[in-house]
Amino acid sequence: MRTKTFRSVLYVFLLFVMVVGAVGCTPAVPEPVEEPSAPVETAKKFEGVELTLASMTDQYVAGFRYLIPMFEEETGIKIVMDELGYVDLYQKLTADFVGKTAQYDLMTVDIVWSGEYAANGYTLPLDDFMARDAAEINTDDIMPVAWTLGEWEGKHWAYPLAGYANVLNYRKDLLEETGITPPATQEELLAAAQQLTDGDQYGIALLGAKGSAVAQDYMSFLQQHGGAVLDADGNINLNTPKNVETLDFFGELFNYAPPGSTDYWWDQRETAFRNGTVAMMEGWSIARAGYENPEMSSIVGKVDVTAAPVSAGMEPKYGFGGWGIGINASSDATKQEAAWEFIKWITSEEIQKEWIKHDGAPIRRSTLEDPELNTLYPWFPLLLKSFENGDGDYRPRIPQYSIIQDALGTYVNAFLVGQETAESALIKAQEQIDANIK
Amino acid sequence: MNQTLGKSLYKKFQNNTYLVLLLPLLLFVVLIAIYPLFFSFRISLFDYRLTDPNQTQTFVGIENYIRAFKDPIIFISLKNTLIFVAGTVSAELVMGLGLALLFAPETRIARFVRSFLLIPMALPPLVVGLVWKSLYNADFGVIPFYLKELGINVGRGPLGELNFAMPAVILIDIWQWTPLLMIIFLAGLKGLPKEPYEAAYVDGASRWQSFLYITLPLLKPTFLIAFLTRTIQSFKVFDIIYATTAGGPGNVTTVLNFHIYTVGMTFFDMGYAAALANILLFVVTIISIIYIGVMSRQQY
Amino acid sequence: MNQKKALWEKIILAVLSIVAIIFFMMPIYWLITTAFKFGRDAFLLPPQWLFFEATLKNFQSVLASDKTFLYIKNSLIITTGTTILSLVLGVPAGYAIARAKNRFVGNSSYFFLLLQMIPPTAMLIPFYLIMRDLHLLGTYTSVILLDTVFDASFVVWMMRSYFVDVPQEIEEAALVDGASQLSAFFKVAIPLSIPGIIASALYTVIYSWNDFLFALMLTSPKTKTIPLGILASFSAVEISWGKMAVMSIFAIIPAVLISLFLNRYFVQGLTAGASKG
Repeated sequence: MRTKTFRSVLYVFLLFVMVVGAVGCTPAVPEPVEEPSAPVETAKKFEGVELTLASMTDQYVAGFRYLIPMFEEETGIKIVMDELGYVDLYQKLTADFVGKTAQYDLMTVDIVWSGEYAANGYTLPLDDFMARDAAEINTDDIMPVAWTLGEWEGKHWAYPLAGYANVLNYRKDLLEETGITPPATQEELLAAAQQLTDGDQYGIALLGAKGSAVAQDYMSFLQQHGGAVLDADGNINLNTPKNVETLDFFGELFNYAPPGSTDYWWDQRETAFRNGTVAMMEGWSIARAGYENPEMSSIVGKVDVTAAPVSAGMEPKYGFGGWGIGINASSDATKQEAAWEFIKWITSEEIQKEWIKHDGAPIRRSTLEDPELNTLYPWFPLLLKSFENGDGDYRPRIPQYSIIQDALGTYVNAFLVGQETAESALIKAQEQIDANIK
Repeated sequence: MNQTLGKSLYKKFQNNTYLVLLLPLLLFVVLIAIYPLFFSFRISLFDYRLTDPNQTQTFVGIENYIRAFKDPIIFISLKNTLIFVAGTVSAELVMGLGLALLFAPETRIARFVRSFLLIPMALPPLVVGLVWKSLYNADFGVIPFYLKELGINVGRGPLGELNFAMPAVILIDIWQWTPLLMIIFLAGLKGLPKEPYEAAYVDGASRWQSFLYITLPLLKPTFLIAFLTRTIQSFKVFDIIYATTAGGPGNVTTVLNFHIYTVGMTFFDMGYAAALANILLFVVTIISIIYIGVMSRQQY
Repeated sequence: MNQKKALWEKIILAVLSIVAIIFFMMPIYWLITTAFKFGRDAFLLPPQWLFFEATLKNFQSVLASDKTFLYIKNSLIITTGTTILSLVLGVPAGYAIARAKNRFVGNSSYFFLLLQMIPPTAMLIPFYLIMRDLHLLGTYTSVILLDTVFDASFVVWMMRSYFVDVPQEIEEAALVDGASQLSAFFKVAIPLSIPGIIASALYTVIYSWNDFLFALMLTSPKTKTIPLGILASFSAVEISWGKMAVMSIFAIIPAVLISLFLNRYFVQGLTAGASKG
């Protein structure tokens, strides 16, 4: 009897191994075979094609969730969306590109990645598609600054998807109480932050967490103070008097930020503003609509927004950021075509309106000037102004961007917690960059 | 006990049969683990960046190793790794033994509590890290809130202060893994002989004395097991760091695994990452060999 | 051992026990309650431990996504595959090491100990490249293979100490009766060590279910596991601690079930090792 039991146990074991082997060995990547796309003259040319979209979990992900089913209905193309956080998205996409595994066909591309993606040929240049379909896509309507979301050395490696302006959000009620007018310069911002800090109420919310968060916030202030990561010849040069001075300024602002700020990532900064802990916050315009949503915000109706202040005497230039959408260079041709269909569709004038209404962000002048949207989102004129004077290159979109960001991310954070001085932090960051760039 | 007959039969078969039983795993491991390690040694001699569109591999000899020794972060992260391992393992040994003594009695309540205490060690370390990160948050977190109520200045919060970030991360590890040591010690305590205690009781020794002079020495083998198990795992720490500090503030919680991950899996600088990994492997191997020496002397 | 404890001792012990219970249970309690809270309440101070406005919204939104089930399915496949492979390879090897007089076989246990100590990143980097060349990136196979290296080495150690504890007389008797050594293993040794095998399986299940680093690098959107799904509930702007908590609850279910209902095997599995020294 025992023999039997154990033999059957053994068989079950073997069976399992075989099943698992069979399941495991089937590569999960290749998709079901597509229909040979002979030139059929139907509207649903790409019926049955399945695309995988890697999307940053930014606000606009809600727009994708809402719009993708409509697109699927219209075209028969199926889109599977994989939502990833900022760090994971960059890392998974790079892994996918360098492995040439084509796990993702479409991806949201941060403005700062365009140079790297171009230099390494990760994404497909869209110029041929754009030239072919020029009549459909009305590129003149797209804000000039929005092209920085994917253009690099004359070619388009990602198509503009969601444009953000760096703006200053502030609490109308608190500023009024304290008798402060919205800061128009960086110096006023610092003074206001100081005045608004009182007990558990803090002046400003900042990004201090080690990594991309603190690096990007510092670069944003750098832009507003007229500093730069690159020198006139395009070389990385962090240790300049202006940059050191700005870093000291940045550090001073942290005195008027919640004590945990050196650990803040975007979500925590948003939380601090939304739950009323802080009075002011510089950040991307896309977050604006969320402050009026009572489910996640306790400051509904108390917020106003103004242009991000620059240092006194500077010609106003506004930080521009956001996301493009790119096509994997390793995907097969049919999928690339289908992916382009999606890009055309979602960036088209009519869909852009829906996109905005579902937490997306604008790229077109027609969207920004649309009367209906302007009633819904009274801050649109400010966006238009910021976009018209937008600077998409204050974070250098060069191929080495992520190395710069990593070094700044470590050493600016080290400065904020008192491990380095402003100057030594920038010197060490520069050293690390030099060691990692060939 | 027909041992003699058994033994002779045993001898006849043992060599080949046991080899047959061992071989599948051995082959598997050589293929899946040892071969990659050789492969890793090879690529560590090349300048090999996966992000390079042409994927060129240039032979550079030991240049990657030289670069590693010039890299300030590698020494910092080596030091941090050792602090982390020493901190977690020693605290967990003490606390694990304490918990085991506390909950050793076979009462209903003790048994009930014990089964709950096992939960932390079974949780994904990533989840553990994320939960603690929010508990630690200086402005919205539960722990700083109560500390502030007690009048303690928490500054930038446990994970934000240079001096507290490492202890805070260590505490997370302690929370997760002390229960494992508790069960190991419980098992050890159960296996202790009764006689020495009775003799000591007759001699009038206090409970403290018998703990010090009987229990602790008898638990030595258990200590070794516990020590070994935890050191192995502690060296591998990655998830908790990834979820909480990303190695910050500055570099105070950057451990080797995290640094290698950044170089290899974010920048895909494979040659250099492989060199770093091999250095870590070397350190760990030395430590393991010392262990094994100790273990085998302990008749293990 | 049987001396009477004074009252103050009892009180101290009781206090210590309560402190220990609070310390170990508080984070788990926090996680579970967060899953039932609205986003804006998750960080209210003072913390609401008992009385808060409860909602199932987080559960609804997590369950509404078919991704959740995909992650669970993937985690199940990878865990099952790893566990079975680790046991199939590790149990016989552990037996061989426990019984063999052959030096090579006996000492190979140290080799498996060393293997367990290999830093995961040291393995991951070359393994990633090899998997890429074999076009296995993004498959279950790649994760299972790498998990198994570590888990099987662990099983070997655990089962070796277990088999050392199993009396050899019965096996010897079977051999005398003419059984082959292999059948002595299958018919005598394995049945006697079922608790040890269960214990090994439990640890393997927990380790592979919880694995994050390997899955992070080796899975594709279609083979992602739960820990990776949890990460996705973090975003630049959305405050989704509630969703994170719900996903985490899914991720910890097996762990909690095992801890609560199968914990005697945990203890048993380690008893063998620990008492042996």
